Amino acid sequence: MRVGVPRALLYHHYGECWTSFLDAVGIEPVVTEATTSDTVVRGALLSDNETCLPVKVFAGHLLQLKENTDAVLVPRVVSQYDGMKACPKYLGLPDMARSFDPALPPVMAPLMDLADRRGRWAREWYQLARDTGASAHCADDAVKSLLRGLRGVEAQPQGFGDLTPQAPHQDREQEAADDSRSFTVGVAGHLYNVYDSRASLGMLGRIGQMGARIRTVDEVSRRDVRRQLKTLPRKIRWDFESRMVGAVLHWSRTRSVAGVIYVSSFACGPGSMIGALIEDQMNREDSVPLMSIILDEHSGEGGLITRIEAFLDMVRRSNEGASVAALRRGVAKR
Amino acid sequence: MNITVPRVGSMQYMAQDLCERLGLGFVQTPEYTERTIERGVAIAPEFVCFPMKVLLGSAIESLEAGADTLVTVAGYGACRFNYFAEIQRRILEREGYRFQMVVFDSPRDSLGDFYRNLRVVLRSSSVHFPGLVRAMSLAVRKGWAYDEIGKRALAIRALEAEVGAVDAAIAECREILACAHTRLQIEEADKAIAERFDRVAVDEERPHIRVGITGEIMMSLEPYFNCDIERWLARNGAVMERSIYMSDLFTPRGRNPVSGRDDAEIGRVAMPYLGHEIGGHGQINVAAAADYARRGFDAILHFFPFTCLPEIIAKMVFTRLAQDFDTPILSVSIDEQTGRAGLQTRLEALIDLAWSRHDRKTQQKGSDPLCCI
Repeated sequence: MRVGVPRALLYHHYGECWTSFLDAVGIEPVVTEATTSDTVVRGALLSDNETCLPVKVFAGHLLQLKENTDAVLVPRVVSQYDGMKACPKYLGLPDMARSFDPALPPVMAPLMDLADRRGRWAREWYQLARDTGASAHCADDAVKSLLRGLRGVEAQPQGFGDLTPQAPHQDREQEAADDSRSFTVGVAGHLYNVYDSRASLGMLGRIGQMGARIRTVDEVSRRDVRRQLKTLPRKIRWDFESRMVGAVLHWSRTRSVAGVIYVSSFACGPGSMIGALIEDQMNREDSVPLMSIILDEHSGEGGLITRIEAFLDMVRRSNEGASVAALRRGVAKR
Repeated sequence: MNITVPRVGSMQYMAQDLCERLGLGFVQTPEYTERTIERGVAIAPEFVCFPMKVLLGSAIESLEAGADTLVTVAGYGACRFNYFAEIQRRILEREGYRFQMVVFDSPRDSLGDFYRNLRVVLRSSSVHFPGLVRAMSLAVRKGWAYDEIGKRALAIRALEAEVGAVDAAIAECREILACAHTRLQIEEADKAIAERFDRVAVDEERPHIRVGITGEIMMSLEPYFNCDIERWLARNGAVMERSIYMSDLFTPRGRNPVSGRDDAEIGRVAMPYLGHEIGGHGQINVAAAADYARRGFDAILHFFPFTCLPEIIAKMVFTRLAQDFDTPILSVSIDEQTGRAGLQTRLEALIDLAWSRHDRKTQQKGSDPLCCI
């Protein structure tokens, strides 16, 4: 039996756990290739035009699995962390997958609720394994190793290398060798946008080429994030978004970056709220420069490059002289 | 302390009633106008959804009308609504307004916060806690009665024997309800309302279609955003039912929207199309649509603000539902750019379709009652 796994959305977080689960129960996982322009275009045609870019990318990947698989695995991720909620898109993803195209293979949608410490949701994975013909023992082992694997994902920050074998990785190595680069930029965005080099139009690679060190959200530890989030008057209950806000505040308050690029996709719900929050908070704190980039399927490389260049130039200048805040204070004094 | 609450369905009514009971000042949020929306859009972040922009605009207008305390509900759902109030506060502060904001989450999220918020509101009232609980339950009870008027009107507006009979009944019923204060009086008002509506002359023989209205609560309830859909549909001969009312949301479990079903049953009805709660009122709407389709409604209307998270999922799921039941479903996305003429054209198309289906159905009824195509 061949089960497809679209390389989109939360695959970028839990993909390895899912495929190794399938392997363990004797199913051949078929993971789609990296996103191409064709994927995006076909996905955008298929899905509703008001959905966000990552869902369109997901639809594109799903289409690739139409012919050569017996089923597709689209886990319903209800929560990614204790006390957190998922974006509605993750909650309804299997149902959306079913309504994209009636000709698509059946959707397997086991629950994944990492906030549930007792792991009651694991029963659905066990059932899935049993339904596909695995023995009780085998299914049990597979579920246990899935749970272990997911705990591992949570415990350590992922970093570049684990997720995409593409451009950013090389840049990272290059970057270590090349210490003359003078400043660091924090890129705050969902992993499925930032690490998908088509969706983000190779943003990380480009920023690296333009001579900046890059920090991404997953490099900031949960502890730092929690410490920063405590300073906000209202809790953010979306897991990854709360990490984004925490990471941005951590970077800006410790001045460990010279500028922050906030990457979101058009029609991203949580993203639109925390984008406004980050902007307001950083403005109040007179913090490092912030640029927000909204991606959608129409994004053109030319425009993106120009904007990144302009932003990095500004950051570089303010970094060479004083900080923006200090400059501003200086002007005020005079 | 002058309190104001968002203008959505019967929320104003319930809040005003509650404030009167507690002896607090209340400022009615002004009616939505083009200007409200313009002002909201001008200061709102570009990519937030339409209700947030509207709420910002109308908060400004209420503050200018003399309110000093914005009271709103939030809760920690999955939809972005849970962060509205915080962003709203930040933006209004940035714009230089002076006010106090009290955000009520569900007591299930944090009882402590809920209590603290109550204390803030109650500071300038002479009522104590037990009195407050009673006042709240009575206000919600009155809200049900108020929404009941709306439900009854919706069901017979298209059939009224003489034009204006339903509107007259609504006005009369609201007056009856306005005089009711104690629980007993409200219950009596309930009966009086039922009686008053029974007296409205109805032309049962008149051919009509049945249309279900679902959607995001603000867009589906507020006539300003949906081009006064109730009256428009009634003029076109549609008997309506709506999936969600404001007072339903203030009832702790058990008396939820979809034709009196509770949460668990909503889950069951929606199950074939939507396997999980998705935040906002997505699941309720999918359940309602499935319910309407199963009961043989001629068309279903679905209103939602542009890029609304749960309703987009509902919209995508509706394609499957519409095929399964062969029921036309029109999803209308509404934002500050929505033009009335465009909306009208689409609604007309839907109504034409519904009528032709209805006619075919009635013609075939004689030969084969099971066939509805």
